[in-house]
Amino acid sequence: MSELLSVHKLATCFHSRRGIIRAVDEVSFSIAAGETLALVGESGSGKSVTAASILRLISAPGRIEGGEILFQGQDLLKLGTAAIRQIRGNRIAMIFQEPLSAFNPVQSIGTQIVEAIRLHRKVSRKQAFEQAVTLLERMGIPSPAQRVHEFPHRLSGGMRQRAMIAMALSCEPDLLIADEPTTALDVTTQAQILELLKELQAANGMGMLLITHDLGMVAETAHRAAVMYAGRVVEEGSIDRLFTAARHPYTAGLLASVNIEALAPGTKLPEIPGSAPSLLNPVQGCAFAERCNARHALCDKQTPPLATDTEPESFPGSRHRVACFLPARPDAIPLPVESEAA
Amino acid sequence: MNAIIENHLTTNVGAIHQNATQNVPPLLELKRLSKIFTTDAGQVHALSSVDLVLQRGETLGLVGESGCGKSTLARLIMALYPPSAGEILFDGKNIAQSDKAERLARHARLQMVFQDPFSSLNPRQSIGRTLEEPLIVHRRGDKVARKARVSWLLERVGLHLESAWRYPHEFSGGQRQRIGIARALALRPDLIVCDEAVSALDVSIRAQILNLLLDLRAAYGVAYLFISHDLAVVRHMSDRIAVMYLGKVVEQAPSENIWRAPLHPYTQALMSAIPSPHRKSILGNKKRIILQGDLPSPLNPPSGCRFQTRCPYAEARCRAEEPLLQAADKGHTVACHFAIG
Amino acid sequence: MYRIILEHILQNRAAIAGLLLLVAVILIAVLGSFYLPGDPWEMANAPMLWPGDDPDSPLGTDIMGRDIATGMVSGAKVSLLVGFASAFISALVGITFGALGGFYRGWVDAFLMRITELFQTVPQFVLAVVLVAVFKPSVVTAVFAIGIVSWPPTARLVRSAFLVLREREFVLAARTLGMSDPRLILTQLLPNALPPVIVISALNIATAILTEASLSFLGLGDPNVMSWGTIIGNGREQVVDAWYICGIPGIAILVVVLAFNLLGEGLNDALNPQLHKR
Repeated sequence: MSELLSVHKLATCFHSRRGIIRAVDEVSFSIAAGETLALVGESGSGKSVTAASILRLISAPGRIEGGEILFQGQDLLKLGTAAIRQIRGNRIAMIFQEPLSAFNPVQSIGTQIVEAIRLHRKVSRKQAFEQAVTLLERMGIPSPAQRVHEFPHRLSGGMRQRAMIAMALSCEPDLLIADEPTTALDVTTQAQILELLKELQAANGMGMLLITHDLGMVAETAHRAAVMYAGRVVEEGSIDRLFTAARHPYTAGLLASVNIEALAPGTKLPEIPGSAPSLLNPVQGCAFAERCNARHALCDKQTPPLATDTEPESFPGSRHRVACFLPARPDAIPLPVESEAA
Repeated sequence: MNAIIENHLTTNVGAIHQNATQNVPPLLELKRLSKIFTTDAGQVHALSSVDLVLQRGETLGLVGESGCGKSTLARLIMALYPPSAGEILFDGKNIAQSDKAERLARHARLQMVFQDPFSSLNPRQSIGRTLEEPLIVHRRGDKVARKARVSWLLERVGLHLESAWRYPHEFSGGQRQRIGIARALALRPDLIVCDEAVSALDVSIRAQILNLLLDLRAAYGVAYLFISHDLAVVRHMSDRIAVMYLGKVVEQAPSENIWRAPLHPYTQALMSAIPSPHRKSILGNKKRIILQGDLPSPLNPPSGCRFQTRCPYAEARCRAEEPLLQAADKGHTVACHFAIG
Repeated sequence: MYRIILEHILQNRAAIAGLLLLVAVILIAVLGSFYLPGDPWEMANAPMLWPGDDPDSPLGTDIMGRDIATGMVSGAKVSLLVGFASAFISALVGITFGALGGFYRGWVDAFLMRITELFQTVPQFVLAVVLVAVFKPSVVTAVFAIGIVSWPPTARLVRSAFLVLREREFVLAARTLGMSDPRLILTQLLPNALPPVIVISALNIATAILTEASLSFLGLGDPNVMSWGTIIGNGREQVVDAWYICGIPGIAILVVVLAFNLLGEGLNDALNPQLHKR
């Protein structure tokens, strides 16, 4: 499989008055063309910083301190500012959680999409405008010829997110980074946007990096997922295997706490005790150790490396990695799963 | 597992029945409650003629998307603003007609937990002070007794006693939500309105807070009005569920009825929109419904049935005639022309 | 909370510089009274002595032979008094108007804001001159006149803070506890609205000192009190031959105003919660 994007041992730190915050540490993953990789994690896990690092959108006091980000074989971290600008919005596009703040409030959405197109393509204003209308139509926006003149605040949340996707896709990027694309939307609208993203991906064959905290969304949209905790990837694998046979105790715990539908109403939910550690002055050893019920003496001394896992018979050929000294048995929590993306 | 669910249902329904036969007024009753906000753009019908009943010790779940009026409902109940029409009866008394003493007494029995753990605590007040404030306002106990109560509250919601000296910014979202719950609990209320109390929290923390709420209900018999956009969470917490759409209740039933056999097309769409790693367990083999279009503007709600513009089954009658809530089953009401028979 | 703010102030160079200058001026005002207890209006030495000519009058004398150093000490006291007192009045009126308007909204707000606008449309200095001229010129009238003309920006600031704060969930939570309005305003809203008021008050002190100097320069100062503005006003005829008479108090005004501006700037950074997170 040819890799579209391959991130290798990425490290991004923030220098604050009180010390260094290792927001992203030794993060590695890869995405193939036409594939969706979900970067899953709770707030502060480093998933959004990872996305911003790929586009080199980290500004002081933050700094990318190590690793490489190979995009179509080219290391993005070695490019100059002009070269990275040529890639942003053109070959790698990004959509954000809150479309209202991602649009300029005093320009119509059409003007902004035209800008985006003309930034990277040598086309006339008129051609770009026609393209913008076509794009809006493809995004399922009703009466696009009128809507293109609307200002962002006049559109509903769902329409705004569609307009932002239209803008992101205006230069037909090879990779789309979607940072919590539906978090600000209602559940029914959320379902629409996810369907749209899946359709667009099937049509364009672009790779997608989906950043989210919502495991349900991951199961329905992604092919593979990398689970992040305290700035590191703790487990990575195909959706089928990850959701039925998670091996890292954190992944297993997350899945159990989401699986609220399977429980008898009113009964106690399985919970992960405590809360995520501070990234400032990190503890020695595994960051999850103090919340883990399978904690071992070794967990306090060393950080477990992200190692390739064995292939069980039930998942032949699955690439699976886990960073744990005492991973759960691969068949420990059998849950029914239906991955629509697969 | 089914047996557990059945058992759980019968005990609660039984308790509710007992209340009804003894002629005790319900803890909370909303009668044709409406709220209209006048804005520059026109009149927003946030809530239109809502009837709801909440019994002592019961948890009523309120589900709906943003703009459905669920937060307006919560704020009307908390008397943060007055209704445009209709009545709110707390313990059989209309809250609009209460005098100052009654109002204060009601505030003690009726508390609220807010959505945003970062906005719901005063950043310039220590946690101890925040928890003591309700006791001071209601003149409960002397200084020593109040301090003891604060310690008890902190311990009850799983926080260290030293937390009393700290300020909100020193706590994580989950811990702040625990503080918010402790504040609501301080006066031993009969009803706690939880407005999206867990939606701003991380998944691993959400379970902790839901467990705490379950614990408190078991220990003190407090009733909850549990408001959320997340049907799965609401179903887990509630005895009964009311589904709201654009300022109206469209379906109301014991929570397992809604979960197993939703009747209103909107409820069905809501169920099927829940993104879930375990979809099969919810939907079985039913096809996933994805609604078209957006929520209509509450400035100008559609004629007839409010869901008509997005409903996959809408017919001419739905555009002309507004469906009323009708009984479909015991305790199950639905507002749809085609849901029954 | 306030300990953290203090730490931030102490880490801010502008604030420290402002604070040090301010302490120096206060020390001059206090200690100066002990070393130079004389009456600043009295002829103490030969007239028109340049600074350094006579060790008895280290900063020289003016055309009437009045000791400038003694006048400077007296002026420091007047400037600080007028600055703090009028900024206090301005904050008091501004907070009251802004808090009531922002909290109650509706007609209360409309009424209070019309009054605020009325004060804003009249040129501040002209109004202050009229007020001082109508009543007898004295330190007290100057304080009131300056306080009365400078509150509208504070009122607007507090009002906008209150409009945002009153919708915050912790305020709603306090209301659901059954808290009375005065208690709500004083314990919940006001402490959260104060930081920008503190900043604007520091700047108000600077403006007030300038205004007082201008009034005294125009001869509208307290006839019994020597202020920096009075010295400049008296020395303006000799500004070509003896520029020091205007220059020394001029520099003093510059330094004090600079001190309060630096302090205000530093407070602004220290009280801005967005900058704390870094």
